[in-house]
Amino acid sequence: MRETFTIPQRVRLLALILTGIGIIALITGFVTDQSRTFTSLLLNNYYFLSLSLGAVFFFSLHHVTDAGWSSMFKRIPESMASYVPFAFIVMLVLFAGVRDIYEWAEPGITETDALIAHKSPYLNIPFFYIRAILLFCAWIVLIILIRRASLRGDIEEGLAWHEKSKHLSMVYIFVFSITFTVASFDWIMSIDSHWFSTLFGIRAIVSSLYYAVALLVIIVILLNKAGYLEALNKYHLNDFARYLFRLSIVFGYLWFMQYLIIWYANIPETTFYYVYRVNEPWTLLFYAELVINWTIPFILLMSDDLARKKAVLIPVSILLLAGFYISLYIQIMPGTTGVLRIGFIEAGSFLGFAGVFMLLFLRTLSKAPLYVKKDPFIQESVSHHL
Amino acid sequence: MKQKDLIAVFDNDRDLVKAIGTLKENNIPVKDVWTPFPVHDVLKMLGRESRLPYFSVAAGVGAVIVTFAFLYYTAVIDYPIRYGGKPYFAFPSFVVIIFLLTILLTFISTVIVFQVRTGLFPGKEAEVPVTGTTDDKFVISVGSKEGLADEIITEAQVILSANGAVEITEQER
Repeated sequence: MRETFTIPQRVRLLALILTGIGIIALITGFVTDQSRTFTSLLLNNYYFLSLSLGAVFFFSLHHVTDAGWSSMFKRIPESMASYVPFAFIVMLVLFAGVRDIYEWAEPGITETDALIAHKSPYLNIPFFYIRAILLFCAWIVLIILIRRASLRGDIEEGLAWHEKSKHLSMVYIFVFSITFTVASFDWIMSIDSHWFSTLFGIRAIVSSLYYAVALLVIIVILLNKAGYLEALNKYHLNDFARYLFRLSIVFGYLWFMQYLIIWYANIPETTFYYVYRVNEPWTLLFYAELVINWTIPFILLMSDDLARKKAVLIPVSILLLAGFYISLYIQIMPGTTGVLRIGFIEAGSFLGFAGVFMLLFLRTLSKAPLYVKKDPFIQESVSHHL
Repeated sequence: MKQKDLIAVFDNDRDLVKAIGTLKENNIPVKDVWTPFPVHDVLKMLGRESRLPYFSVAAGVGAVIVTFAFLYYTAVIDYPIRYGGKPYFAFPSFVVIIFLLTILLTFISTVIVFQVRTGLFPGKEAEVPVTGTTDDKFVISVGSKEGLADEIITEAQVILSANGAVEITEQER
């Protein structure tokens, strides 16, 4: 069994090329259209930050509930989390673009806009910076602690570090649920600064878990194909598929709940958000979000026999990752640039972020043995059987 | 002549599954299996996988249609009232009711079908060959309608004890 991951040269080259494309796209973007570039920076950074935090959330859930089946995949969410410090750096860059992205940050808007003036004790630039820095500090500290506990647990005998991981997971779940709500309010919801939805935070949390599982499925299957994680069997895949299936229902539920309540109450203060999005040119994307993220996985993953097939799981997961992009696009773009376009700047910067994410992920993954031999659940995980 | 079944008791599900595999390889009919918890491999090996999920899906689809028809009839055809400036056919407001009634109807009909198909009803006596099967014992009964020939019974006895049966008894019907 190959226990430690080594980065294949081809994959590293691919990641570097993607990063290069991203850098070119961002440079051209900043030269030609600054606010458009800042917007796609925000989108991509939030996209990958959400995936990495969601992956840790996924694993924390398993720690807290003593779920054994997934412990052989432990290193993967941990490595995905290594993107978070980079996201902090991008966020610091984004601070320069706050006035380009957010309506409430425009100078003098508080004098002309009563509602924004009313919200200004919360939505003001210094407090926005402070919140973002505090959120990132909390995440980075927790992720470093979780990683350290996990690595030490693999070296030292006994269950002390396992118990510590479990404790940290509880803290993480608590902190994540609050901080990520704040993050989604701050970075995404405040784009439409007149609009509000109290459901927004839980939607962001569920999305981060949902798409993190989709990415995990892809990574696990690719690693298996490359000769690692040999113990992967159809029961593991079935469990991953169940996650996706259940979360697709939760996603559809929350999507519709947000829509229904606003539709029913019919208050102009909140309906404009949806009126803007169901009309051209956003109509197609608006409905595509629901179909891709709920209908398709719901139907395809309903039967266990289908759900445990790699030929079904991989396309569904890739589709879901695209669905996440659409979901964020329809949340961010109408309020910022207001134009529906996916050009070189959007696509290129997405590829660039994907490249950076890959590089950081692969580097962290190759640092520690992939096979966690001292995890108390590793035997249960390797011989997982339904 | 009286017909005989073999009742073999096992201590764990792994031995039980192995024993069933060997019995099937030797073409010895397995009549029934009792386990304290569901063992999916056994269902697969005996070709007795439940078709209840398919019924549930069908019932769910049926419930969606029935509920939608009911709502459409009441809200649009039979007693149209305009409320909140919404059209008569206000689909989003149907969705929650469809969702909830689908869960309810699917659940109830699945339970009823399950009870009918398995012949379970309140107050029914348990049909267990050995009392431990609801606790910690796993039981295979070997036999067929026509009864087994003596040499098959001996063969089955050898296979069962080789696979770790802790107790083998013959039961007359």
